[in-house]
Amino acid sequence: MFAPTSSRVYYVTAKRYTTRLPVHRAISTYEEYDVAIIGGGPAGLALASALGSSQVIQKKLRVVLIDAGDLSKVRNWSPPPGTFSNRVVSLTNSSQTFLREIGAWDHVEASRTSPMEEMQVWDGVSDARLKFSATEIGLDVSEDGMARLTEILNLQRGLLRRLEGFSNIKICDKMKVQTITRDSEERGGWPMVHLESSQVLRARLLVGADGFNSPVRSYAGVPSFGWSYDRQGIVATMVHAPRGAFEGPNTTAYQRFLPTGPIAFLPLSPTISSLVWSNRPHIASALIGSGPDVLANMINAAFRLPEVSLRYLFNRIVEAYSKGNPLSGSEIQREIFWREQSHSVDPNSAFASAMVKTREGVPPVDSQFVPPLVSMIQAGSVASFPLKFNHAESYIGEGIGGRTVLVGDAAHTVHPLAGQGLNMGIGDVESLTRCIHNALIQGGDVGSYTALQPYARERYLANHSLMAAVDKLHKLYTTTSEPVVWARSVGIEILNELDSVKAAIMTVAGAQNSKIHSDMTGWNFAAKGVESFVATAQVAKTLSGGLSGIIDTGLHNLLGRR
Amino acid sequence: MQASRVVRALQQARLSTAHGTANPSEIAHFSRLSSQWWDEKGEFGFLHKMNPVRVQFIRQKLLEVFREEGNSERTSEMGIIDGLDVLDVGCGGGLLSESLARLGARTLGVDASESNIAIAKIHASADPKLDTLSYLHAPAEALLESPKRYDVVCSMEVLEHVDNPASFLSTCAELVKPGGHLFLSTISRTPLSYILTILLAEDILRKVSQGTHTYSKFIKPSELVSFFQEHRSTQEIFQLSKSWISPHCPPDAPPRTEAEIRGLIYHPLQAKWTLAPRHAWGATDCNYIFWVRKPSLDP
Ligand SMILES: Cc1cc2nc3c(=O)[nH]c(=O)nc-3n(C[C@H](O)[C@H](O)[C@H](O)COP(=O)(O)OP(=O)(O)OC[C@H]3O[C@@H](n4cnc5c(N)ncnc54)[C@H](O)[C@@H]3O)c2cc1C
Repeated sequence: MFAPTSSRVYYVTAKRYTTRLPVHRAISTYEEYDVAIIGGGPAGLALASALGSSQVIQKKLRVVLIDAGDLSKVRNWSPPPGTFSNRVVSLTNSSQTFLREIGAWDHVEASRTSPMEEMQVWDGVSDARLKFSATEIGLDVSEDGMARLTEILNLQRGLLRRLEGFSNIKICDKMKVQTITRDSEERGGWPMVHLESSQVLRARLLVGADGFNSPVRSYAGVPSFGWSYDRQGIVATMVHAPRGAFEGPNTTAYQRFLPTGPIAFLPLSPTISSLVWSNRPHIASALIGSGPDVLANMINAAFRLPEVSLRYLFNRIVEAYSKGNPLSGSEIQREIFWREQSHSVDPNSAFASAMVKTREGVPPVDSQFVPPLVSMIQAGSVASFPLKFNHAESYIGEGIGGRTVLVGDAAHTVHPLAGQGLNMGIGDVESLTRCIHNALIQGGDVGSYTALQPYARERYLANHSLMAAVDKLHKLYTTTSEPVVWARSVGIEILNELDSVKAAIMTVAGAQNSKIHSDMTGWNFAAKGVESFVATAQVAKTLSGGLSGIIDTGLHNLLGRR
Repeated sequence: MQASRVVRALQQARLSTAHGTANPSEIAHFSRLSSQWWDEKGEFGFLHKMNPVRVQFIRQKLLEVFREEGNSERTSEMGIIDGLDVLDVGCGGGLLSESLARLGARTLGVDASESNIAIAKIHASADPKLDTLSYLHAPAEALLESPKRYDVVCSMEVLEHVDNPASFLSTCAELVKPGGHLFLSTISRTPLSYILTILLAEDILRKVSQGTHTYSKFIKPSELVSFFQEHRSTQEIFQLSKSWISPHCPPDAPPRTEAEIRGLIYHPLQAKWTLAPRHAWGATDCNYIFWVRKPSLDP
């Protein structure tokens, strides 16, 4: 139905990059650990903290965490006042609750986080808009917002501080895992982790929290499937004037779905917000390559101008950039100004951005429909990441890849449009910790398949249905499939009524607290909704011939499902 | 060094030969299968899945007793079994023994099958955390020669395979310290158990090797209760005149402080075993677990 137009399906067939050591050359010196976590990203650090904060686990298990990077830089991270790191995640309320339970949330600097009290999502083609606020969607604790925007570094630093208190958890950073081999059959075939320093660790349970290119996943022989979205995610820290009188605080997140990919504005402080803009790679590199002035102007335009004009502006930027003569800030400003005039955008409206200096006094009536005007990009804060979908076929290794388990991005990578990547990872950590605890109190071997199976059961389908729904939402808004584009242009007004998309967005917002089952139904519902939207669009298109009545009926049938 | 440990394990496993209540043809049958013991998805997969539920029952029951006796040291999550002397009769590949040792019990696993003990020893030798665990290739009867008695004696999925259950039960009973605990799990003799364990598991689904079970050897929970209502200790120095279970209680509802029977229910959709609630109707018609306590010395 959605022919993946620009994305290529690939299967990563896991290649074991390990050699089995001959039995007679058994490794003579090694250290024994019950749990060896590879990866000191947010998922790995959260797992280590969670294991450390359980009394039972703390007493029974020796844990080590290995990371290639220099974690002391994270531990001692002290950004100059008023600046923010460009990697920001929205942590759902259930992720926050878990982090609080493991004693880590207190170490996350609260003043650097911001509640997301409202969220506005709209379609770039039709401008149909959904608006949610924490109170509207019936959250228990609405003052906390629907989610909390947090720099990944702030979270990682908090987790590292929390970890300082645990004696049974060893952290080895600046230490790359070189290879992973399997101990002899007679010795149970446990994983042996070989470090750069030529130290060897023998692990009862090897946890892959080692990100997308997970070495643990390939040792485990777990294949993964997925595709690249042919999109780059541009991130940046944006500086803007504070919200004016009558406008409320800067706690509204904005996301506009453009055919090139969604652009999101995530508030961090009254005058600073974070950007996540997914775009076609050639546009992304031209936007970044043309310098921060052009990027800032284009961010403002991307939240405001009609889609046709953006298409025109992207072409201009790409063309100039590819000729080695990128547009300047003032040139793009002028271009934007002309586009605004040709669309008769009222210069006093919040939708005008090009020639607006600073707004003082009473803000335009429509100011809450768009984010504040970005005046500047924080120096050195622009970066971009390729976006992909990737899901391991299993979270637990079996047979000769046994005693392995995957969490976080090692297990799954998802499009950032729903802000769920890390939240899924935190959910994994919570479930795996519970699973390890339960195995321990029953005298189980925490590396065994029997002990780990409940983790896979609890997480795999929940993650999968979320990922499928996010993937479908991405495709719905970026597909060039003609009937879908057509239906969106005439019928997207139904978005407000579409329960399923609402369910998805609410889950995105973290409205559904920690209950896996409700998460699952929310996401399944969302995916189904997108599917039936597309099916209806195709039927309606076939029947059309200028019959708006039929379109209405088609779309009403869709709504009639309620 | 590790290799020599394995060789020693194998040599020790060969030390004694067995006869006693274990039936030779059944021992041969299990020896063939024993190399597959630790394949969690193999033929013994159901035991791997069942094991946590058995341990759960053992912990729950002991915790209940310790609470009632006000033994506060033993009521923490990990302290229930820690430091107790535990015997696992018919330990097979060591599934339950390893779990009990991991919970801190000084555990001895015995099995009449030489290859089971060899497999169990090799498996345990790979695990650095099992220093309170040892294995012995011997029939349970052989242990009576030593004065050593145990706080907890377990025998899981064994009773349905022995030729003389009464004698086997007496042996297990003798090995329990006064005031100690005996845990047994087995299969009841009902039409349901025939259908599930023999017809379905062996003949139709072939999940378990044919010949694993013999229907006539299945024992009903009420028969176990009756046994312990009548049983008197014979070999002990202290002649325990008290019966283990009050003679006048109905055999399907023994007093909870003396004995308990709980069904073990398999949920095919979740591929998972659970402990049935107390007195759940029909729950003990197939797999069940039984606990009985030996009377203490003080009156
Ligand atoms: C543009 C963008 C926006 C996003 N926005 C959000 C959002 O709003 N909300 C959200 O929840 N998520 C978001 N995500 C996703 C989120 O950032 C990731 O899910 C998260 O960072 C993954 O954490 P992790 O710990 O699993 O893996 P990683 O952070 O990738 O950590 C892996 C670690 O393993 C280490 N490692 C790897 N190999 C070795 C080796 N051989 N030896 C030693 N160490 C090794 C690495 O050094 C690294 O530290 C976003 C992602 C992108 C790209």
